[in-house]
Amino acid sequence: MRHAFQHRRFVLGLISLLLAGAALGRAQEITFEAAVDRNPVGAGDQFTFSLVLSNAGTDGGTNLRLPDLGAFRVISGPNRSTSMQIINGRMSSSITYSYVLQPRTTGSFTVGAATIEAGGTTHATKPLTIQVVKGGVQRQEPADTVDMTSVIGDNLFLKATVDKTRVMQGEQINLTFKLYTRVSVLNYAVEKVPSMRGFWSEDVETPKNISLSTEVVNGKQYRVGVIKRLALFPTQAGTLEISPMEVQTTVQVQPKRSTDPFESFFRDPFGRNVNYMVKSAPVKISASPLPAGAPDGFKGAVGQFAMSATVDRRTTRTNEPVTLMITISGTGNIKLLESPEPEVPPDFERYSPKVTDSINRGKGKISGSKTFEHLLIPRYPGLKVIKPLTFCYYDLTRREYVTLRSPQIELNVEQGAMATPQVGGGARADVQLLTQDIRFIKISDPSLGRRDEFLHTGGLFVVLLLLPLAGFAGAFVFAKQRQAEMRDQAGYRNRRAIKVAQRGLKQAEYLLKERSGSKGEPSTLQRVRFYAEVSRALWKYLGDKLAIPQSAFSSERAAEVLKARSVDQGLIHALRVLLESCDMARFAPTGLDLAAMQKTYEEARRIIIDLEKTLKSS
Amino acid sequence: MIPRLIAMVALVLLGRTASGQSPDQLFQQGNQMYQQGRLEDARSLYESIVAMGYGSGQLFYNLGNTYYRSGEIARAILSYERALRYMPQDDDIRHNLQLANLLITDRIEPTPRLFFLEFWDDLKDALSLRSTTWLAYLAYLLLLASLTLLVLGRTYVWKKIGMISAVVSLFLFACGLILFAAKLADFTEEHEAIVMEAVVTVKNSPDAGSSDAFVLHSGVKVEIIDSVSGWIEIRLADGKVGWIELSTVERI
Repeated sequence: MRHAFQHRRFVLGLISLLLAGAALGRAQEITFEAAVDRNPVGAGDQFTFSLVLSNAGTDGGTNLRLPDLGAFRVISGPNRSTSMQIINGRMSSSITYSYVLQPRTTGSFTVGAATIEAGGTTHATKPLTIQVVKGGVQRQEPADTVDMTSVIGDNLFLKATVDKTRVMQGEQINLTFKLYTRVSVLNYAVEKVPSMRGFWSEDVETPKNISLSTEVVNGKQYRVGVIKRLALFPTQAGTLEISPMEVQTTVQVQPKRSTDPFESFFRDPFGRNVNYMVKSAPVKISASPLPAGAPDGFKGAVGQFAMSATVDRRTTRTNEPVTLMITISGTGNIKLLESPEPEVPPDFERYSPKVTDSINRGKGKISGSKTFEHLLIPRYPGLKVIKPLTFCYYDLTRREYVTLRSPQIELNVEQGAMATPQVGGGARADVQLLTQDIRFIKISDPSLGRRDEFLHTGGLFVVLLLLPLAGFAGAFVFAKQRQAEMRDQAGYRNRRAIKVAQRGLKQAEYLLKERSGSKGEPSTLQRVRFYAEVSRALWKYLGDKLAIPQSAFSSERAAEVLKARSVDQGLIHALRVLLESCDMARFAPTGLDLAAMQKTYEEARRIIIDLEKTLKSS
Repeated sequence: MIPRLIAMVALVLLGRTASGQSPDQLFQQGNQMYQQGRLEDARSLYESIVAMGYGSGQLFYNLGNTYYRSGEIARAILSYERALRYMPQDDDIRHNLQLANLLITDRIEPTPRLFFLEFWDDLKDALSLRSTTWLAYLAYLLLLASLTLLVLGRTYVWKKIGMISAVVSLFLFACGLILFAAKLADFTEEHEAIVMEAVVTVKNSPDAGSSDAFVLHSGVKVEIIDSVSGWIEIRLADGKVGWIELSTVERI
């Protein structure tokens, strides 16, 4: 049992060792290299520029960044090829990205580093210097590196032909690019399209497969193929130039006959392929301006045209759109046509037209039609008239300006339903609003006012501002006066208090003296009156002096106020005793003799004088 | 005040003698022309009232309608915006302005703003200059009444009521004054404008040779935030800022 277990461990160890070996095999270094298939290269030659990523596994790299290949034209690429090899148990893989390039000019060029991300890191190639020499540098053929231009010479050229060089502005010119050849051209590609400044150009259909014809130029017979056909319309007067067109051709060159049979045996029996650039000569066109006296509506249409104007319906409702279709058809510079301006009633809303054109490029003449769809929305009911539309063009065959006139269009607009209230928001609301019209003007009182006059600068407003302020000022003054008056009243009472008291006491004194004059003893009534006078004089004095209303007056209250005004406690006590004795004597007048009355009188006088002193000083 | 009144009267009289009609009569005539479909005549009548120095929401609204009908959308928008200054809550003006804005090239989505700024603008939009003037005046009256109560009140309770209402009305008055000042600034400072030129290239600095920021078309409302010798710095509702020549816009 134990033995078997150990055996199993041994097998496991062996397997893990093998796996480790495989992993080691995989872990070869990743390389990234750039190469060209030859160096130097000829100016007209194509060569292969390859970037080889090795040992990055079958996944390859990501984020391949090419260096600047500005000096070269990329003919094709990238072409990706993968190869994998297992030699002696070691696996190696490589991925090749190849580009076919062609130099633009001669010289020495350095291709910078290309980078790629593989295996978690970024790999870069070393920069590469490529020499570009004049002429074709061909493989193992140094003997006849002849100038291709001299070999091909006038056996291959490109010619731009026009059917006329003197035209009117807006008149059609047919421009044809033809390739003349006496050598075998395998293929061609247009490198540079001529610029057509000052023209409106329209491609004319050329057959897919070039049909060759033969032409004799300078005694030599050429095969001729049409490469491009254009219809041109000068948009301005003057001398205009059609710049050259460049076409890259691949020409098969037959090798020179060699006398050496051995050499000819190894030679390519089909000759070799050479790239050759052909260029057309510039063409000058003189465009004469259109004759003077163009009518008002002329907007540059030249050719022969017909116009039709229709509406999609004759009867509509308010706020329901009507489409006015204006179609101009004929031959000439169709694309450049502008819509005749429809004169619609002012209560119609008009939106910018939708323009469609169809152009027929066949038969050498550009013809076709252009349609302008004007969307009109009538806003008011009634019989509406769209005035006749006019379209003006210059007729090349008749050599004069022609004005086309459409019949008048009548529209019957009925009162439609009122605009529905809008629902929803955003674009939908906008669409709903489009069918609505603006609201009617306001015809009520315009309440016009001068724009530089405002409510707050008006005279009335200033009065309105000042009036309440004046009212407040009045109230303020009144309050102040009232306050002063109240203060005065108190002061008056204060000042008069002693006099009033003295008058009261005088009355008391009189009562006291009167009894001694006549009957010797004062009557009970007299006594009561005496005490009442003294009491009254005291109360009145206190009331006036302390500004306490009679109603809220009591001896306790008086004592409080006096105490608050820091009057001597003894004096307050004496006052209270006196007031109480007066009250007592008034309600129980027995047992009061003259001496007591005299004493009361003296006491009252003393208290009043003392109080007066204290209150005045405080 | 008095010279101004005299000048005003003189102007009114001059206006009368020049055209022989009062602005109100001209307005009524303009309305008749409009109803007969004679938009050009209606417009020139309305314009003559404006030229006399008069303005009102109704006048600018009707003027805007004549421009709208004759397809001058930028001018229509300008007139409607002016009308809104007088009658910010008027439904007709808002409706027509909305329609006119649909016909212009640029669609500008306003960026969302802070809620209190939004509230402030809404508040300003809700009131005309005239009503803010009255509002501030009302608060002023209340303030004076409370102060009067405070001064005249004989008892503590009355004085207390006067005091509280004085504080409240002082606050209201301050608010009213601020609102009034803001409205007045809107009215007189003309810090908004409408682009009048068909296509205007907005520059990054006040210089014709400076780089282009963006392109505006006629009818767009812009806020003027700065100006330098014939150039104004503008801000759009979506927050874009740039410089354009003053002559390409007309102030509202």
